[in-house]
Amino acid sequence: MAQQPLIHYHVRWRPSGHQPGASRGIVAGIGDQLRSVVLLRDHPDPRRLDLRASLRDPFENVWVRDFNLNSALKVIVLVDTSASMGYVGKVNRLHVAQEIASQLALSAYRSGDAFGLFAAGENINKQCMLPPKANRGAWLWVNHHFAKIKPQGKHADGLFSVVPYLPQKRCLVFVVSDFRWSAGKLKLLLKKLSHHDVVPVMLQDPAEIDELPKSGIAILRDVETGAGQFVWMRAGLQKQMKNLRAQHVNNVEEACRKYGGKPFVVKGEFSAALLTKYFMERSA
Amino acid sequence: MNALHFFKPELLWLLPLALLPLISYGVKQFSFPGLEDWPKDFLSDYLRWGVRALAMLTLICLIIAAAAPFTEGGTVTRVGEGAEIVVVLDRSGSMSENLQNNDQSVNAKPISKIEASRKVLLKFMDQRPADTFGVVAFNAAPIRVAPLSADRELAKAALQSAEANSSGFTALNRALAMGLDYFNGRPFTATRLIMLVSDGDAVIEGEDRVILKQLFKQYRAKLIWVYVHAGVEKNILNSVIAGDNEIVTNAEMQKIEMDQNVAMNRLFEALEIPYQAFEVNSEEGLQHAVAEIERATNKPTRYEYRLPRKDYAVYFYLMTMLLLGALFWLKQIEIKAWKA
Repeated sequence: MAQQPLIHYHVRWRPSGHQPGASRGIVAGIGDQLRSVVLLRDHPDPRRLDLRASLRDPFENVWVRDFNLNSALKVIVLVDTSASMGYVGKVNRLHVAQEIASQLALSAYRSGDAFGLFAAGENINKQCMLPPKANRGAWLWVNHHFAKIKPQGKHADGLFSVVPYLPQKRCLVFVVSDFRWSAGKLKLLLKKLSHHDVVPVMLQDPAEIDELPKSGIAILRDVETGAGQFVWMRAGLQKQMKNLRAQHVNNVEEACRKYGGKPFVVKGEFSAALLTKYFMERSA
Repeated sequence: MNALHFFKPELLWLLPLALLPLISYGVKQFSFPGLEDWPKDFLSDYLRWGVRALAMLTLICLIIAAAAPFTEGGTVTRVGEGAEIVVVLDRSGSMSENLQNNDQSVNAKPISKIEASRKVLLKFMDQRPADTFGVVAFNAAPIRVAPLSADRELAKAALQSAEANSSGFTALNRALAMGLDYFNGRPFTATRLIMLVSDGDAVIEGEDRVILKQLFKQYRAKLIWVYVHAGVEKNILNSVIAGDNEIVTNAEMQKIEMDQNVAMNRLFEALEIPYQAFEVNSEEGLQHAVAEIERATNKPTRYEYRLPRKDYAVYFYLMTMLLLGALFWLKQIEIKAWKA
C-alpha cells in the first residue's frame, strides 16, 4: 500500500460541535469569522476589544468582538460488508474499502476531527463499531478490524440499523459500498441519513465494467447468491454489459442527486488525491 | 441377422458416466459481483447446453466405440466358375523314358514322357485361362513347386523346371496328400481338381488309401489321372522290373504292364473318388481331357459365402474424434483469466 496523501475534505455547512477543529462552526468561541460585536459585560474578553465600535458608540459602551468557533467535524464511515464486497477482481474490494477507511481515519485525526466507523452486512457488525471520537489510533484500529471481516450476506440492510447509532447532529458520513442493492434501497438509506452530509463512495472493479474479456466462454458465479451463469463473451455482449453497468452508475447518481449529493466512484484502486479533488469540486 | 451386437457389451454399463457433464461443465469459473442485471443472452444459453450435449455425446460415442458394435455379415450364395487345379507331376525315373513315336521319319526326335506331359500340360493351361493352377512334383518325396495361385507364370515355370530323376521309389500317396493339402483353408469357391500326371508306376498302401479317401471327401476334390502311356516296347517294366526278371516274354510283359495299369485303375476305383483317366500320348486324348475338365468345371459350383461382419466401432471412434475436436476448440476459446 503506497503512502497516500491526506484527504482534505471540506464541507459547506457549519458543524455545531464545541470541539475546536478545522471547520467553521456555529457556536461562539475562538475562530476566524466574526460572529457579532457584543458588550464587554456580556463577553468579558478584553483581548477582542473592538476600538472602532466602542468609539462610535454615543453611549460609550465598550464593545468586544465575538467569533465563531472553528469546530471539529465528525467523520463517520459506513461500510457495506455484504458478500459482493468480498469480490476480488483486479483489486480486492474489501482492501479498497479498508484503505479508504484508514486514510479517512488518519486524515480526520490530523484535522482534529472525530472518526467513527460502522460495518454492516445483513446485520450490523457489532464487533466492528467505532463511535465517533477524536482518535489517534483509529487507522490502526481500522486495519486491525478489517482483517477480521468476512464479507457475507446477500444484502446490506444492516446499514439501516446503523442509523440510530449515529450522532443526532450533522456529521460527514461516507457510505462505502458497491451499491449493488435492490432498487430503492439506496434512496431509502439516503433519506434516513438526510440530516447528515452523505458522501456515497462507490467501489467499482475494472474487471466488471471496463475490462470485460472480449471473447471466450466462462462461467460466472454470483458471489452473493451463488448462482452460476454460462457466458459466451462477444463484442455485442461486452457492449451490452458495459451499458448496463453504466446504467447502474447512472441510477446511483440519480438517487444521490435527489438528496443533494454526488457519488465518489472509485475505479479499481483508491486514490486519496481524487477524493480531495472531489471535495474541492463539491464545495465550489 | 442384421441385429446390432456388441463385442464387449459389459462396457455399456459405463454409459451413466455420460451424465458427468451435467454435474460439471469443465469450464473455468469466475466469481462476479452481482449477476442480477446480467443481460439475458440466448446464444450463451444455447452454447451452455451445447457444451453439455457435446461432452455427453463424446462420452457416449467413446463408450459405444469401446464396446465395439458390429452386425453379422450373414452369408450369400455365390456361383463359382473355373476350377482350382493342382497338377501332381510324376518325375520319377520311369518318366524319363522315351515315348513311342508314331512318326517314323528320320529326323523325328524321341521325346521323354515327362517332356510330353509338360508340353500337354502347358497347352492345357493355355486353354484354361480362368483356372487356378498349383504344381506338386514328386518322385521319392513330393515337393511343393508352385502354390495354388492365379500366378500363371509361376506354375508354368514350375512345370518347365520339372525334370525326371530316378530315386527308386515313387511317393504317390504323399504327393496326392500334398496336392490335396493345397486346398486346406481355402474357401470352396470352384471345382477342385487333382490332376495326376503319371505313368502309373506306383502303389498305395491300404492305410494310406483310407486317409486319401477321407481327404478327397473332405476337400471335395476330383481326381483326373493323365496317364502317360509309353507303348509296349519302351515299357516301364523294361527299366524297373527287367533287372531281376530277365526272361520275360513280350506277352508276359504286356500282361504285367496291363496288370500294373489295371491295378492302379482298381486302386483309384477303390478310393471311391470321382476319377477319370486319360492318355496323354494322342492329341485326341488331350482334347478329350480338356473337354472332360470343361464339363466338370462348367457345372457352376454353388457355395455359401460367409460375409465378414461389419464393424461400426471405427465410425464411433471417428465421431468421437470429431466431437473431441469441437470440445478442444471450446477449451481453446475458454477464458483463462477474467480480464480484457
